[in-house]
Amino acid sequence: MHELSLAQSLIDQLLDLAQEHKAERITRVAVTLGPFSGIVRDSFEFGFNTLKQSRKRTRHAVLELETPDPVYICLDCDKVSVIPFSLQNDPLDVTYRSLYPKKCPWCCLTRLSPKGGTELILNQVEME
Amino acid sequence: MCDTCGCQLHEHHHHDAKVVEVNQSLLAANQKQADSNRHHIEHMGAVAINLISSPGSGKTTLLERTIEVLKDTVRIGVIEGDIETERDADRIRAKGVAAVQLTTGGACHLDAPMVHGGLHVLEHFAKGGKYDLIFIENVGNLVCPATFDLGEHQRVVLLSVPEGSDKPAKYPATFRSADLLLITKTDLLPHFDFNMEESRKESLTLKPELSIIPLSATTGDGFQDWIDYLQALLQK
Repeated sequence: MHELSLAQSLIDQLLDLAQEHKAERITRVAVTLGPFSGIVRDSFEFGFNTLKQSRKRTRHAVLELETPDPVYICLDCDKVSVIPFSLQNDPLDVTYRSLYPKKCPWCCLTRLSPKGGTELILNQVEME
Repeated sequence: MCDTCGCQLHEHHHHDAKVVEVNQSLLAANQKQADSNRHHIEHMGAVAINLISSPGSGKTTLLERTIEVLKDTVRIGVIEGDIETERDADRIRAKGVAAVQLTTGGACHLDAPMVHGGLHVLEHFAKGGKYDLIFIENVGNLVCPATFDLGEHQRVVLLSVPEGSDKPAKYPATFRSADLLLITKTDLLPHFDFNMEESRKESLTLKPELSIIPLSATTGDGFQDWIDYLQALLQK
């Protein structure tokens, strides 16, 4: 549930920016959520869209969320790979996910250590 | 949809729109306060440890035993985070050290501004406002506290034997953010199917440089390793 506090701090940042740039309203907000940030995308989006209603300047803000694909380093062969999260609603994947852990595409071993990906970044704000 | 740029906005006025590049962390405000907390703690002469774990994994008991061992030689202060009640702070005070209770009233984690308030209160309890070691016991939660730097110097995550050895794999963000993992309640190992090898392997995959100490505050097994870790921290 910390998504709500993060959404609130985003709204606060936006209000400050609107004031700084003398804008009447924020129209678009681009945010990057790192794949290992521990932030649930849907909850964050829901929190933002609820909280934005409380202020005139943020009411029309459209949130654009981007989550880069996760990057891992293999602790056995040291190679770095980008391994996307599985596709949602893929029945085969849902069935076998827990039976077959993620493997390094180079050496097929499973000691994949997450690399970076904890970022939560407000990239760009469009305002009028 | 706007025909000019393809965005999802209906009333879109390109002529007076302005795009501002921000490229700043969403946690910038918390981070700024955390950095100033760290500075404040150093000014108080102390190092700070942020204790994170699920509810009931033994954070307060660990602190009680630690205080018993160290309180004659080390000036300890404790900031307790809970949703409600003063109970944990009372347990710590009963051991004879200063404790400040932060009740979040529902929030699932401590953040740097709350700890800032706690530090100021803690300062009043000690002679000259000085401490050697400050423990910040976070709200019992293995998810949300991971995201918030409080200004600590070391982050210690507890995993108790009854919780099960699969927790590092299930809550990766928290275990990945730790400097030290304490596997607590090891006296219960004979009664649970906790696989020590699994918990070690999975947490070291998440963070290869993680230190791990298994211990029991009840029997004292492994407890000296934890005390040695704290002493080494105090020497720095």
